[in-house]
Amino acid sequence: MRQIQSRIDVTAGEYRENYVAMTRRLKEFHAHQHAARYERPRRDLDRLARQNKLSVRERLELLLDPGTPFLEFSTLAACRAYDRTVPGAGVVTGIGIVQGREVAIHANDASVKGGAWYPLTVKKIVRLLDIAIENRLPVVHICDSAGGFLPLQHGVFPDRYLGGRVFRNQTILSRMNVPQLAIVGGHCTAGGAYVPALSDYNIIIEGSGAIFLGGPPLVKAATGEEVGVQELGGAIMHTSVSGTGDYRAASETHAFALAREVVSQWKQPQKAVIATAPIEEPFYDPRELYGIIPKDRKTQFDMREVIARIVDGSRFHEYQPDYGTSLVCGFAHIWGFKVGILANNGVLFNDSSLKAAHFIQLCNQNRTPLVFFQNITGFMVGRQYEERGITKDGAKMLMAQGGSAVPKFTVIANASYGAGNYGMCGRAWDGRTLFMWPQAEIGVMGAEQAANTMADVKIRQLQREGKELTDAEIAAIRDPVLERYKRDVEAYTSTSEIWDDGILDPVDTRNALAISISAALNAPIGDPHYGVFRM
Amino acid sequence: MPIHKLLVANRGEIAARIVRTARARGLAVAVLRHRNELTGSAHLIADEVVEVEGPTPVAAYLDIDQIVAAARRVCADAVHPGYGFLAENAAFVRALDAAGIMFVGPTEDVIDLMGDKVRARAFVAERGFPVAPAAIEDDDPTNFVERARVVGFPLLIKPSAGGGGKGMRVVREDASLEAEIETARREGKRYFGDGRLFAERYIERPRHIEVQVVGDGRGNVVHCWERECSIQRRFQKIIEETPSPALNPEQRAEICKTAAGIARAVNYRGAGTVEFIYAPDGAFYFLEMNTRLQVEHPVTEMVTGIDLVAEQLRIAAGGGLSHAQAEIRQTGHAIELRICAEDASADFRPAIGEVLLMEEPQGPGVRVDSGILEGSKVTTDFDPMLAKLIVHGPDRAAAIARARAAVQDYVILGVTTNTGYLDAILAHPRFLAGDVSTGFLAEEAPVLTAPGDDVTDILLAAAALSDVRLVRAVDEIPEMHRLMGAWRN
Amino acid sequence: MRRLLEIRGEEFPIWLAHTGKGYVVHARGRAVHCSLTRSHGKGAFLLELDGRSIPLRLTVSKTATFIHLYGRAYEIGRTDPADQQVEGGTGTGQDKILAPMPGVVVSVAAGPGDRVGKGQTILVIESMKLETTLSAPRDGVVAEVPFAPGEGFGLKDVLARLAPEEE
Repeated sequence: MRQIQSRIDVTAGEYRENYVAMTRRLKEFHAHQHAARYERPRRDLDRLARQNKLSVRERLELLLDPGTPFLEFSTLAACRAYDRTVPGAGVVTGIGIVQGREVAIHANDASVKGGAWYPLTVKKIVRLLDIAIENRLPVVHICDSAGGFLPLQHGVFPDRYLGGRVFRNQTILSRMNVPQLAIVGGHCTAGGAYVPALSDYNIIIEGSGAIFLGGPPLVKAATGEEVGVQELGGAIMHTSVSGTGDYRAASETHAFALAREVVSQWKQPQKAVIATAPIEEPFYDPRELYGIIPKDRKTQFDMREVIARIVDGSRFHEYQPDYGTSLVCGFAHIWGFKVGILANNGVLFNDSSLKAAHFIQLCNQNRTPLVFFQNITGFMVGRQYEERGITKDGAKMLMAQGGSAVPKFTVIANASYGAGNYGMCGRAWDGRTLFMWPQAEIGVMGAEQAANTMADVKIRQLQREGKELTDAEIAAIRDPVLERYKRDVEAYTSTSEIWDDGILDPVDTRNALAISISAALNAPIGDPHYGVFRM
Repeated sequence: MPIHKLLVANRGEIAARIVRTARARGLAVAVLRHRNELTGSAHLIADEVVEVEGPTPVAAYLDIDQIVAAARRVCADAVHPGYGFLAENAAFVRALDAAGIMFVGPTEDVIDLMGDKVRARAFVAERGFPVAPAAIEDDDPTNFVERARVVGFPLLIKPSAGGGGKGMRVVREDASLEAEIETARREGKRYFGDGRLFAERYIERPRHIEVQVVGDGRGNVVHCWERECSIQRRFQKIIEETPSPALNPEQRAEICKTAAGIARAVNYRGAGTVEFIYAPDGAFYFLEMNTRLQVEHPVTEMVTGIDLVAEQLRIAAGGGLSHAQAEIRQTGHAIELRICAEDASADFRPAIGEVLLMEEPQGPGVRVDSGILEGSKVTTDFDPMLAKLIVHGPDRAAAIARARAAVQDYVILGVTTNTGYLDAILAHPRFLAGDVSTGFLAEEAPVLTAPGDDVTDILLAAAALSDVRLVRAVDEIPEMHRLMGAWRN
Repeated sequence: MRRLLEIRGEEFPIWLAHTGKGYVVHARGRAVHCSLTRSHGKGAFLLELDGRSIPLRLTVSKTATFIHLYGRAYEIGRTDPADQQVEGGTGTGQDKILAPMPGVVVSVAAGPGDRVGKGQTILVIESMKLETTLSAPRDGVVAEVPFAPGEGFGLKDVLARLAPEEE
């Protein structure tokens, strides 16, 4: 594979301006992340200390193999919901290494509303368990939750992908022979009680851990029976009387050490085999991405410059370099794993769509995972393109992508607008992971375009009613729409709603993809089954 | 009367040391073993091992009837008692005599005399030799406390039947006198089966110098020069050397002549040691006479070239002295280090454990008398001394350098020993200058037990990397995840 | 991959990692790159650390590592956090012996006021034609043995109770 020859001039003024703009964005992003992870009201921290509990972050460090990575998902979930009072949606999820094995981790954060489940909490947990199912990843649940947040129970409980889905997914994992371990480090009440109960293994921390369908107050109200937490659902009762608990831990440290021992009993997975090469760092410094990504979203940039700063040795074997040039396709390695890359260098035309459909089939033929780098404003529009069947060719790309069996991964590097999002493996297309860069946007169309469209509808309606509008009146209609729309397409909105698996600092993309790919290989790669390609 | 078969009524390093010489002289040798003991080095080189029984190993080794019976059983015609246990027990000598078995040591009357500190002191004083100020015997326990009080403070109390510093205590004030006497009495009973005590005025900043003597029991006595034994912790010697750095030739000649004179006065037979308190002003006083082979006898052997056990066996068999006094010369300098299972940084608390790995130092001028083997279990059943490291060099500085190198090379892993502490003593400027007294170790304790250079990182790294389970767990981590390290997004 | 090591009474939590190039010991707030290779001689190893090559003798027991380094012997206590005893966390509920099934008391070995050690027999019961020995769940003093030999009891009846532990 040849090394990409970068044309970036790191001394150019534009590069430096981009760099400054991105650095400023990232500073803000990292501050948000830090706050979501660590900043809590004093009283919540005091309560944890009083209960003799470690923080969820400390628990994670005790669980994970020291000196190994942890890919955290949706750190900023709920960052634009619930008046920003539920950082991270009150739960930490991710993929980490425990005793050399890749595991999915779901850990309640009891410093956020006592670990109560909000609608987005449930969504985040269900997403994690979906990842576990798709990738056949063993799951470690760290349970410490007050239960569903009652004022929002309608968003937590009734629907298909709400609370029940957590437990449903647990049963699916178990029937797939994917082991689960729950560490009960707090109360698991009502529905929450089923998390440890449905786990193949569980550990209860003596003192702080308890499992019951109804806690002491509820029991008192329901039957008049007065019973203490320990007698009702404490570690000793469950591990020696009810059998709901398997192991009793004397302390948090002991619990996580035991948990590691349990995980070490699990069989090492037989991972799917794909082509690999010796690991190599990118030749070009990934930090140069900061100067490459334009500060103005509308400025075009060459995705090869991005690829060069993410893949091994900056080497890239480009497929059809002179055909359908608005889509860059080719092979590269990420942390040694061979991948097929599709990256947007402009609007999708007929030729670039056909190229994509072909390339996706090539990757399925030789079992090469797909990585999509999105910077897409959509498929080309206009009479000429419709006549050439742009929709038909776009449908081929979607059909190929939908029928694909190799694991797919998506990075929304800049714009993700319209049907281009579908073709480039948007959220609906079951990529194993999907990450956004902090300046990226996602929406049915660009903000200005959308605002104009919406304003035009309104203006025409008013015109039909016989009103003439001054420029100022038009602006008064258009500007608020534009403002709201701009906010709605931002990465922070997406990540708050868990339309992605998290925002990434661009330099972290390489590792995040590699951990995702490695995890994906825990599941076998099947054969592709395509539908009918409209020819 | 020649000896054909010898029973060594002892254990540990001294048993092995005696077996070695006896076998070199063509004797058959039997040694003892209690079922609670693992094989020691003596058991490997002896011709025969005899089981002894008792509730504890110590009790068995002190059981006269059983040991005489054992000697009979193996048809030994002589018994070597080593040191400690029955080495200075006149009843044992009488029992052997009754059984027609030779005792390798002095006659029972000398043992009796010298074993009784008060009588010994009186005997020596009567013949004009120097003795320490006022002393009393515990002949009447009911008024011992009052009489001890009359002697005045500081006061040294020790078991009448004792030796080796066991049960010895310095009492500096009236208030603690009774309690200390009780403790000393208990220890005396425990170690020597005799609770009688002896008290004398304690001399400040004394040195402990002793002289090796050998007599043939027919009036001929030679001395084999002195040993300086001032390096003591809890009244027990841990480093001995010869010649003493404290003596000039005149003082040396005088103290050795005095010792030989005392031995001659009792018509001493065999190897013995006359111990003196040596005051800072150069005055010296008779302390006691040990009618046996001393732990530290090898330093004398190293500088004189005389095998003292061989001398003992030869004299016991009726032979004469092998050397005239003029032929016995001190050549070079010798130092003995007692390797003990104890934690010097925790008030010399005896350490227990299993010797997992052992390697003795080697090289010219290095001798190791050891009682342990790899796999030996070190318990509190016996004295904590595991082995002795003896070095010889052309002069004192060379001997110290050699001793340091050797003690650093002495690898004993699995049980805490005092090797590092001994090395710290050898490196101490006062020791190098010979400026010591029996209080040296106590005075310099903070320096001697200070932790050395910080090697924590090395220890932690080595402990981690030698932990097979730990390393295996790390090796199980996939290469990519290892290389990524603790990356967080 | 953590261990709790102890040198001269001081505890050092450590963890071992591997960078792909070699092992790293994390202790005392820093990362030390090192490797350990066997060399000639009994228990002899060469430790590479901070660019130094350090010869040492080493042997390992179940709970400690013994190292002879620069002429001195060291003992390093070693604990795996997973080896912690759950017994350390005894709480309430360890005071009572409950009947595992209905049955009859055959004999009582320890009565109120008796000091018992953990595992010591307190009483023997018979149920389903089998005799079962019930022993003390911890060290303590027997407070109560409600049933006398020959008396019957039901499932979960308290058969013996220890006096609560004093702090």
